Amino acid sequence: MNILREVAGGLLRIFVGDAWQTVGILTVVSLTGLLMASGSVRPLFGGALLFMGCIVVLVASVALYGRQHRDR
Amino acid sequence: MISFTTAAPAVGAAFVASLVEVVEAFTIVLAAGMLRGWRGAVAGTAAGLAALALIVVALGPLLDQVPLHSLQLVIGVLLLLFGMGWLRKAVLRAAGIIALHDENAASAAQTANLSYTTTRGLDWVGGVMAFKAVLLEGLEVVFIVIAVGAGRGLLVPASFGALAACVVVLAIGAMVRRPLARVPENTLKFAVGVILCAFGVFWTGEGLGIAWPGADLMILVFGAAFLLVGVGAVVVVRQT
Repeated sequence: MNILREVAGGLLRIFVGDAWQTVGILTVVSLTGLLMASGSVRPLFGGALLFMGCIVVLVASVALYGRQHRDR
Repeated sequence: MISFTTAAPAVGAAFVASLVEVVEAFTIVLAAGMLRGWRGAVAGTAAGLAALALIVVALGPLLDQVPLHSLQLVIGVLLLLFGMGWLRKAVLRAAGIIALHDENAASAAQTANLSYTTTRGLDWVGGVMAFKAVLLEGLEVVFIVIAVGAGRGLLVPASFGALAACVVVLAIGAMVRRPLARVPENTLKFAVGVILCAFGVFWTGEGLGIAWPGADLMILVFGAAFLLVGVGAVVVVRQT
């Protein structure tokens, strides 16, 4: 049971390394999906939103971690 | 018949990504074998591989049952989570914010763990450690193979890429018989992070119904952009 729990924990850590980054990615994907499903944006604009959103999340996540750990 | 140009990116991505995972598993199995005896380490490795095979055999056919767009969306999002996690860590390591992963240090840590474990069931301890390492790193390899291969009928070529990585690491490992510390792990992780992010954006978009201009060529564009942003982030974080 302990092994299973450790394996499950390890699996979770693979996908959720940084909580803020995970939330950011899921927000970008959900927002893109919602905007496209509602017809507010064209698919190609949705694609640009998805791509740029991921870039912003990555940069923000790196910058935030970098700043926090340099301040210490 | 799958053409080389179609299969090459999937095979290459599966090979490079699997190389990193297999090196990590090899380090732990090596530590378990050298400290607790090879019988337990080999048994743990075999059990881990058997468990992996069971999971693949049990869940593999389910992939065909899932609608393509849903499969692309789920795999795309998981790829983004996985790939951006790797890329973020690789950027932070390259910028000197977090320490580089050192297979020698990892091996020493595993060795210390094993040394401090009670001696009851000598082979069992090393076996369990080898089992966990093979199962966890193996699951990552399976995920990578599914992620880069599923959706375009490239599961078999991607599996060959992963298998080739196993063969290469085991062959070199058998020759040197110590942790493969010279593998430029952070550079590989950086490259794999870029590839996984590019595939992730592409599949997520396809899953959401976006018809990318240039089709598969957009993966190269995304890859180039993530590479530029990653390298730029390293430079900026180093300077600030």
